[in-house]
Amino acid sequence: MNRNTAPVAIVMIEDDEGHSRLIEKNIRRAGVNNEIMAFSTGGAAMDFLFSGGKDGAAHANRQLLVLLDLNLPDTSGITILERIKSDPHLKRTPVIILTTTDDQEEIKRCYDLGANAYVTKPLNYEGFAKAIQQLGLFISIVKVPEN
Amino acid sequence: MAIFGLGKLGTAVRSVSPVRGATPPSTIAPATAILFFVGLSALLVIIGTTTWLSKRSESYFTEIARIRDFRSAILELRAAVQAAETSQRGYLLTENEIYLSPFGLEKNKANRNLGLLVKYVPAASQQDLSLSRLRAVVQQKFAEMEETIKLKRAHRDADVALLLKTNRGKRLTDESNIYFGGLAAYADQLLFRVSEEQGQNFLLLQVVSFVGGIIIIFVTAAAAMFSSRYTRMISRSRDEVNRLNSSLELRVRERTAHLAQLNEEVRRFAYIVTHDLRAPLVNIMGFTREIEESVADIRPVLGSAPQTQDDLEKAAVSLNRDIPEAISFIQSSTQKMDALINAILKLSREGQRKLNVVPIDLLSGSQKAIAALQHRLNESGGQVRFDLKVKTIVTDRISFEQIIGNLLDNAIKYRSKDRVLDIRIASRPVGYERMAIEITDNGRGIAAEDRERVFELFRRSGTLDQAGEGIGLAHVRALVRNLGGEITLASQFGLGTTFTIEMPVTHRQAEVFSQ
Repeated sequence: MNRNTAPVAIVMIEDDEGHSRLIEKNIRRAGVNNEIMAFSTGGAAMDFLFSGGKDGAAHANRQLLVLLDLNLPDTSGITILERIKSDPHLKRTPVIILTTTDDQEEIKRCYDLGANAYVTKPLNYEGFAKAIQQLGLFISIVKVPEN
Repeated sequence: MAIFGLGKLGTAVRSVSPVRGATPPSTIAPATAILFFVGLSALLVIIGTTTWLSKRSESYFTEIARIRDFRSAILELRAAVQAAETSQRGYLLTENEIYLSPFGLEKNKANRNLGLLVKYVPAASQQDLSLSRLRAVVQQKFAEMEETIKLKRAHRDADVALLLKTNRGKRLTDESNIYFGGLAAYADQLLFRVSEEQGQNFLLLQVVSFVGGIIIIFVTAAAAMFSSRYTRMISRSRDEVNRLNSSLELRVRERTAHLAQLNEEVRRFAYIVTHDLRAPLVNIMGFTREIEESVADIRPVLGSAPQTQDDLEKAAVSLNRDIPEAISFIQSSTQKMDALINAILKLSREGQRKLNVVPIDLLSGSQKAIAALQHRLNESGGQVRFDLKVKTIVTDRISFEQIIGNLLDNAIKYRSKDRVLDIRIASRPVGYERMAIEITDNGRGIAAEDRERVFELFRRSGTLDQAGEGIGLAHVRALVRNLGGEITLASQFGLGTTFTIEMPVTHRQAEVFSQ
């Protein structure tokens, strides 16, 4: 990811707005300056990604990276993951699962569906902040395919 | 998840109603005894009566034989008299001595039979039958015949004719014939009476046999009926027991399934609660940190800003004392809350863990747990002794080591300051395929009111001079229950505590988790 041109936009789907803010702050602390678009419901995120129920054609010429929480109040994160990975325009978009669940079945399922990374949010703040900052560093060196 | 109680299963099984039998067998026993008694009595009566009747029958036969002899004596006497008369007539007519040869013989025969008659006829009847008169008549007859023979020998034919003309001989013969008839009739009458009595005897024998037979048949039938009824009763009771057994199994299965469902719900609930409770905590902690950092950012700026003295003092107090204090309380409280939620999560996971059941040697398994605590044991100068009557147990290794480890850890932690720590680990068999492990220490003991409470989550007992969250024993109890066991404690405050774990020798995967 090129820090100067910053063409990659981060799509953050996270229902807890506090978490959302803390994730953003800590990613920024790691020196990531890319645009971050936060969605607090699965519905809003899907509307954005698939242009209101169609497909991901609108983002075909854009580089996106998705941070996805699995425990959403309206839709399951799994459903969103499935949609992204089966969409012809979005299937190469990196999806990083960022959730509290560390259930083995869930982790396997996400990778089976094409998730690019699975990160558990540590449920204590020190660990949380550290993990997000490391994730920020990781994101800053990830290559996202140009369409 | 085991912490939330498999304990109810026991009561569920126990509440099944007792077996409802048909008529209790206690009424059968007396009935059978009575039947036996009746049957035996009937048999004895039949045997007694038959014996008595056959004895009587025998005496009738003797009687009949006697009467026959009596009759033949009459006939012989008559024949003797007639033969003697024939002999006399022959001599009188021919004067040939040859005719007289049977005379003496017949006379003897007549006398002998007269004697027999007297013997046969009872004294009471002798008068009626004019037996003495017959005797006299027969003797007179013989005397008359001898008289004529004597006269004939003396050739006094005229005297003989004179004597015959008196017809005395004829009269005597006629009279004796009347008596003979009477005696014959008497003999017939006797014979008739005896055979009639014998007939009655025979009839009685038949009646007794018949009645006895009927009683025996009745008794046998009744016994057969009772025995078949009893058999039916037993088979009905057995069916009932079988039915109850199968319904019991069904109920146990239903309850087990229900419990499994409840357990699953509780497990899900605990998992959700711990996850969902922690998410806001992350925010509280995160934003507290943000405030902290913001305050740190503000402090130098505010220090240099032109303000009134009063404002500056107040701001300084807030910035330097109140805000940090508030932040510190929020942080410590959220950390504590986090630790508690963590503890619940740990317990909830314990119930989900798949058990790895293997044979464990109690001695080496315990020593492994001791090794982890060895340095603390050494510090206190304590020792662990073993008294193992059951040496091997088949169960989950991790759970077992955690249970022993936690209990030993507690024993070391809460030892008495006044004496050297002495821990005893004992095992013994209990009932059917179960065993007890006892861990006894000479520590500070647990007060009576705390003995159940110490097993509860976040509860502790005694002086809180040791670090801890009150999780250990709750965790141990969850582990023990998960292995199908139960843990109890006995303690004397100030003297020591014994924890007793009762569990299966061989762990069977509980249906609760497999269904």
